[in-house]
Amino acid sequence: MTRISSIPFLPSLSSLPSSSLAGMAVLATGGLCLIFASVFPWLVVFPEAWSLPMSEWIGVSLTWLFELIKPAVRLVSFVLEYPMAWMNKGLTTTPWQISIGAVTALGWYIGGWRMALLGFLGLGFVLVSGYWIEGMNTLALVGVSVPLALTIGGLTGIVAYEFARVRNVIQTFLDIMQTVPTFAYLTPLLLLFGFGPVVGLIASAIYASPPVARNVLLGLQRVDAEIKEAAIMSGSTRMQQLFLVELPAAKRQIMIGVNQSLMAALSMVIIAAVIGGFDDIGWEVLLTMRKAQFGESFLAGLVIVAFAILMDRMSARLIEEGARFDFRISMGIFAASVLAWLAGSEYLPGASEFALLDGVAERVDSGLGEFTAAQGARLDEIKNGAMFYGLLPLRIGLDEAVLPFTWGFQWDAGMSALLLGVAIAVALALAYRGRPLAGIGLVLAAGMLETGIANLPWPFVLAGASALGWVAGGRKLALYAFLMLAAVLISGLWERALLSLYLCGASVFACALVGGIIGLLCAVSPMAWRIVRPVCDMLQTIPLFVFLIPVLMFFQIGEFSAFLAICFYAIVPMVRYTRHGLVETPAELLEAAQACGSTRWQILRDIRAPYAAPTILLGLNQTILYAFAMLVIAALIGTTGLGQSIYLALGQADVGLGISAGAAMAILALVADRLVQGFARSRREALGL
Amino acid sequence: MTAHENGTAKAAVACEGVWQVFGADAEHALGDALKQNDGNAKAAASLLRERGLIAAVCDVDFEVGNGELFVIMGLSGSGKSTLLRCISNLIRATAGRIQIEGEDLRAAGERRLIELRREKLGMVFQHFGLFPHMNVTENVAYPLRVKGIPAKERHARADEVIRLVGLEGRESAYPRELSGGQRQRVGIARSLAVDPSIWFLDEPFSALDPLIRRQLQDEFLRIQTHLKKSIVFVTHDIAEALKLADRIAIMRDGEIVQVGTPAEIVLRPADNYVRGFSRDVAKGKHACVDSIMRPLDKDAPGADDPGLRPNMTLDAALASCMSLYEAVPVRDDNGNVIGSVRPKDLVAALQVEDS
Ligand SMILES: Nc1ncnc2c1ncn2[C@@H]1O[C@H](COP(=O)(O)OP(=O)(O)OP(=O)(O)O)[C@@H](O)[C@H]1O
Ligand SMILES: [Mg+2]
Repeated sequence: MTRISSIPFLPSLSSLPSSSLAGMAVLATGGLCLIFASVFPWLVVFPEAWSLPMSEWIGVSLTWLFELIKPAVRLVSFVLEYPMAWMNKGLTTTPWQISIGAVTALGWYIGGWRMALLGFLGLGFVLVSGYWIEGMNTLALVGVSVPLALTIGGLTGIVAYEFARVRNVIQTFLDIMQTVPTFAYLTPLLLLFGFGPVVGLIASAIYASPPVARNVLLGLQRVDAEIKEAAIMSGSTRMQQLFLVELPAAKRQIMIGVNQSLMAALSMVIIAAVIGGFDDIGWEVLLTMRKAQFGESFLAGLVIVAFAILMDRMSARLIEEGARFDFRISMGIFAASVLAWLAGSEYLPGASEFALLDGVAERVDSGLGEFTAAQGARLDEIKNGAMFYGLLPLRIGLDEAVLPFTWGFQWDAGMSALLLGVAIAVALALAYRGRPLAGIGLVLAAGMLETGIANLPWPFVLAGASALGWVAGGRKLALYAFLMLAAVLISGLWERALLSLYLCGASVFACALVGGIIGLLCAVSPMAWRIVRPVCDMLQTIPLFVFLIPVLMFFQIGEFSAFLAICFYAIVPMVRYTRHGLVETPAELLEAAQACGSTRWQILRDIRAPYAAPTILLGLNQTILYAFAMLVIAALIGTTGLGQSIYLALGQADVGLGISAGAAMAILALVADRLVQGFARSRREALGL
Repeated sequence: MTAHENGTAKAAVACEGVWQVFGADAEHALGDALKQNDGNAKAAASLLRERGLIAAVCDVDFEVGNGELFVIMGLSGSGKSTLLRCISNLIRATAGRIQIEGEDLRAAGERRLIELRREKLGMVFQHFGLFPHMNVTENVAYPLRVKGIPAKERHARADEVIRLVGLEGRESAYPRELSGGQRQRVGIARSLAVDPSIWFLDEPFSALDPLIRRQLQDEFLRIQTHLKKSIVFVTHDIAEALKLADRIAIMRDGEIVQVGTPAEIVLRPADNYVRGFSRDVAKGKHACVDSIMRPLDKDAPGADDPGLRPNMTLDAALASCMSLYEAVPVRDDNGNVIGSVRPKDLVAALQVEDS
């Protein structure tokens, strides 16, 4: 066999790929900032004098606008009071036997005995927990807001589908709606509608419409071209085509939208409880949480979870167009419940008199007290360890976080030089071995760790984001990232934005690491997936708010608790997508690799992982968006940064701050979203998908 | 003409009673069905099918000699790919013995299988199975990479096989940038990278248009004359089978209904199923005089001698005895008469299917 000499693989500057060039540019920016920081302090802290008072401007102009439209708004509010009152009256005064009977009967009809049992147990739990009335109040809000959301969202989706010209605008708008944090909706609504349940109602209707719009549009777009043409050739008018053929054909996708919309509405109704003024279950959680009655707030949280599971599973059943079950049995169940009410109403207690689980709540409380008393030292150790050795250095940098009091020694300039020197040496070695990008990344990581995310010089952040944009999606995306971040920079919210970025980054990093490993495990072992899957389903059904309860129970208020809550919520997509990507590699590629003599591990590394990369990136993207969403909710239990500003703005009805901080948060999420999507797209293209 | 007939060396591939049954608890169900039918494979297979299992390969026996090009052919769904996957052990056969150069594959452990694939076996897939994230060189060098061969060396070897399949100049292209024919060349090159002694090809040219297919078939034959590998080639195209094969095995519903040389398949089909395949084939091109030659003592040749040779195609033979009625002699290369052929047999052989 003759051997042919191959081309040497040594890199030269001119032949470096664009990603490495971009990395070098960022590195250079960082280096310059580091060198000149002492001479020009404005490189690190963006001067107050340069920023524009955007919050105030927004505040003033919105207040003016609100005064203008207030009469109209108040009319809407007045009109909405009626259906809300009816719904509320209906749900709270219906005897509980009949409500439970009706839900059980419905469960039977759509899903047989499993759904019937789920309905019975779910509502039964709500009843015995003693939160029946509060639960029904919450349900009433959902019951009014969802039809509203379906109407608004459905119409939006149809309009976007019918008029190609506005489609892009609507889609962008939907994207933004998805990233604007939940609390940020509330402040302007509060100003417009005044205190009261209508705010929660409107907020949840607004929050729950984008999923409907998205899925209606998607469903309509996906209807088979031949079906559409058949409708045209049958001589239908456009309206007939739409309502008789296309919408029914898109039913499945639309039902997915309804399911998502229901869950969004429930989540928002519960979040809206922070405004108060309405005796619902979210308020109950908040109240007991503030009083540190964790047993009760845990119980109330479980009631929310019960509702969430019921709504999710029942509406998910509707998506599947499986056979329906015998209607007569449903009628029988319902009749039995009416009979039970007629016969037993004198002997059975009223809905709000149940307190069977109060003992449980107390037990949880006392048990928790004992546990924290016994294990407090250990819990503190975990918390402090994570704070001092993980979160704090990430936030303010090794140079400030390493103190004799925690680490046992004081960080000094020499150590910084040593750290960077080692990083650079390793980077050069990597570059020599043909991996310049890895080297650059390493130096950047070392520099960021030394400085801390909250102390990063702004030119460095802007350059970094633009460079990522350039690599992920070309000049346009680079410009987009730059302009968006620059807007945050001059709005005066930069420092808070960096703090949010830090906490979000830390949790996303943790989620990516742990979630990636769990996903990998589940991909390798079906057994592990059988265990992890229901946990994921569960975590995804639970409304955001409920995540705060368990972390508070063990770790009290503080940044670490917020970090944990974010992680628990945001880890799910990472696990799911990682597994999905790894498992879904086409069989022919796996066979080909196997026929080449690869071991299982080699197949995983060489075939499955690269093939799964775009999917995993999408999972990372979801994780980032989830983390931003939770970041704001976590402001309730102690975070700094934009989330806190939004929450404070709500308390002070400061619409300017609320909107601008909300917008800044949305910008961070949007930029992250575009960047990761860009990377995912270029990976997919590289795979020829 | 086939290497297996000399019988001295161990067969490259030998299958004995190979079964592949899909479904719940297939192994047990197969044993049960065989027992109930006293080992009758046909009856067992139909019993399995009645019970809702899929008997994709039923009791298959054959041998592939060293350097032989063995073609498995049959209609879609007849179990060709499954059989090939059993032989290459991508799926483990439900029952039977599969030997590669005398070594029992079903008994081999995971590690040994990997070793075999890295040393002896190469495989080409119907839909190419190229890795989309690797360029041509990386794809071709992949089997060497998993073996742990250093980059420089494996790229050199990859370049070599890439040249062999005529893809030089496209080394840094990605699969998505190649045409179908070029992709399959990459697949072929990859399967040849480790210089395997046994080569499996699963309908390698079926996804290509007829012109490219012809071109690749010719190139395949050219490569094979160089490399002299033992080959199991799957196809559903009778013309391709006749063109390439030393011997052909015809499959139906998981069973092999006939094994034979192209001439045997064309001239003496075992049943109507096989006959159906060869109906549209120009038989005169594929069968030779020796397939209808009779011994001298049966039919003494007449006076005319049109100069027949045993390896002449029937078409050519018929052309030279157009106006003759009596038996004519067939001579070997030295001019000795070794048999005789009756012209009417020639005509009959060519028309056997039309009746
Ligand atoms: N993994 C599997 N599970 C169940 N049934 C299978 C599986 N793989 C193949 N089969 C079945 O086995 C039978 C033979 O399939 P096979 O793919 O071997 O056919 P083939 O002869 O290669 O056909 P084609 O020419 O279309 O490739 C088919 O009925 C198929 O449905
Ligand atoms: Mg096949």
